[in-house]
Amino acid sequence: MENLYLPDLALIDRIVDETSDTKTFTLHFANKALNRRFSFKSGQFVEATVFGVGEAPFGFASNPHTPQQFDITVRAIGAVTHAMHALKEGDYLGIRGPLGNSFPLEEVTDQDILFIAGGIGLPPLKSLIEPMLDRRDEFGQFIILYGARTPADRVYKPLLETWSKRTDIQFLQTVDTPDATWQGPVGVVTTLMEKIKLDINRTVAFTCGPPVMIRFVIQDLLGMGFAEDRIISTLERYMKCGVGKCGHCAIGHKYICVDGPVFSYRQIKRLPER
Amino acid sequence: MQVSAKAIVPKTLFLEGLARCMKKTEVIAPVKMKGGDITFEPISNVRQITFDYVNDHDPLKRFFIPAREELFSYHFSGNKPVAKSPPQPKPRVLFGIRSCDLQGLAHMDGFFQGAFEDQLYWQRRQQTLTISLACTEPLDTCFCICCNGGPWLEHGFDLQLTDLGETFLVEIGSAAGRRFLEEWHVPCQSAKRKDLQLRQELMQKCDEKMIPTAYLAKACIQITNNRVREELWDEMGAECFSCGGCTHVCPCCTCFDVYDCPQEDGQGTRYRCWDSCQYAGFTREASGHNPRAKAKERVKRRFYHKLSYAYIQQDGHPGCVGCGRCITVCQAFNQLDVPAVVKRLRRDG
Repeated sequence: MENLYLPDLALIDRIVDETSDTKTFTLHFANKALNRRFSFKSGQFVEATVFGVGEAPFGFASNPHTPQQFDITVRAIGAVTHAMHALKEGDYLGIRGPLGNSFPLEEVTDQDILFIAGGIGLPPLKSLIEPMLDRRDEFGQFIILYGARTPADRVYKPLLETWSKRTDIQFLQTVDTPDATWQGPVGVVTTLMEKIKLDINRTVAFTCGPPVMIRFVIQDLLGMGFAEDRIISTLERYMKCGVGKCGHCAIGHKYICVDGPVFSYRQIKRLPER
Repeated sequence: MQVSAKAIVPKTLFLEGLARCMKKTEVIAPVKMKGGDITFEPISNVRQITFDYVNDHDPLKRFFIPAREELFSYHFSGNKPVAKSPPQPKPRVLFGIRSCDLQGLAHMDGFFQGAFEDQLYWQRRQQTLTISLACTEPLDTCFCICCNGGPWLEHGFDLQLTDLGETFLVEIGSAAGRRFLEEWHVPCQSAKRKDLQLRQELMQKCDEKMIPTAYLAKACIQITNNRVREELWDEMGAECFSCGGCTHVCPCCTCFDVYDCPQEDGQGTRYRCWDSCQYAGFTREASGHNPRAKAKERVKRRFYHKLSYAYIQQDGHPGCVGCGRCITVCQAFNQLDVPAVVKRLRRDG
């Protein structure tokens, strides 16, 4: 029997500054055999340890087709994340994972796809968007909507640039507060929904972002007539163990860490607290 | 000779067998403290064992998930951390555990297995032989008959003893229990009809003394269907001190916190310690957002976990064994223990 709580060592290959408070860490496992057999699915997450500080959960932010090196995008907000930001390339993190369920992918081929992301909610969706775009012709209309507080608060700016140049997808972004350089739309992400045309009966919507944003997005999608199982979101809670034991992330009798983090609105609606 | 599933052993001879076992294996048993309190702890002589007790104030879950335990320790070799699991536990015997606490362990067995098996719990569990003592004298806080938590059990023990005066009726619940009797030469005779009859009478008397205070059924229905008035949760939330006492003494509660203790030389340990869903910080996120910021929501959460159909179906039983410890620890004005809340929900709807 393995010790559930013992992390494996991962090396930090690259650190990219995304915004003033957010960095992307590219990692691989130090143990070669483990690194070779490692795989994950879009929507899953890891528990990352800074030894002596603690552990926190982060969704995979990279394409599962290249699992021998993977990304997590981290906003410095608590003790563990601040300590992570102080690390350098070549330093070690402890990693447990992959944990949690995953986004439906094979189940939604042939469908139109709509992504609605807010701020730091884009990274976990990116781990689904990228494998989908690898197989672009298997999906119908492909729309990505992204909202952030300010232009500088957007993550993956070079990637966003690439997306906006693609003609086979529709990529729209908005900010709450523009700066002098911003020429795009201003307003919360739901205002972008007025700019797109959807066939709600063949579209699956994926949304991830701050809880309040998700609430408004789901409200709008339901208002447009979306079926409850065509709305896919992620729930987040304060989480410790990641393996359904510590009890912190329980909602009703579901544990976000093992039953989630991905849920359809139909499932979310049945939970006794939201 | 094969020992029969129900045997009779003179008490003194059973304890002599236990004493032989103690030369090789740690034995944990109930002892009387100077002030008169009863507590379970490792003993060095079977004469320390007291039979003058109903139960320990603290649940015996502490021998399987200690209030604080090491998850791993680490040190640095250059900039490379090296992490190490804690040492494996040694075999031991837990003598005198009551049915309710043993049912609590059965609950935890279910919880700590599955897709993610908690090896720290299971190693202790598998290394511990449980010799339970069926209850014949309940406390006025006991309500195990409402929760299938006692006063005696049909299974879940390695050995179950019933005190018949000069003898123990010994029921064998596992191969390990049978091995204990054989290895330590406990002289067993097959139980006779009169022994079984005496036990039946003792059990019936114990049942009759028990006040069935927790009629769970209606509370389960009310909670499952979200039919409890919000005002009632408001009232209970206002009464709760969020001290977490109820969850700490509960044999079914398993929630824990995880934290690192670094030392100055760069070594350190990651621990887990009991946590409580009744604490305000239990669900508080790094951003400050807290989905259960109000005591009312936390009280609701506790009873949803204990009594909702969703959990009963998942676990196979309610999250309560009727030990009555939450009655003793709760300091809230109108009591927020299981029987009290069940009664309030029953009278309200």
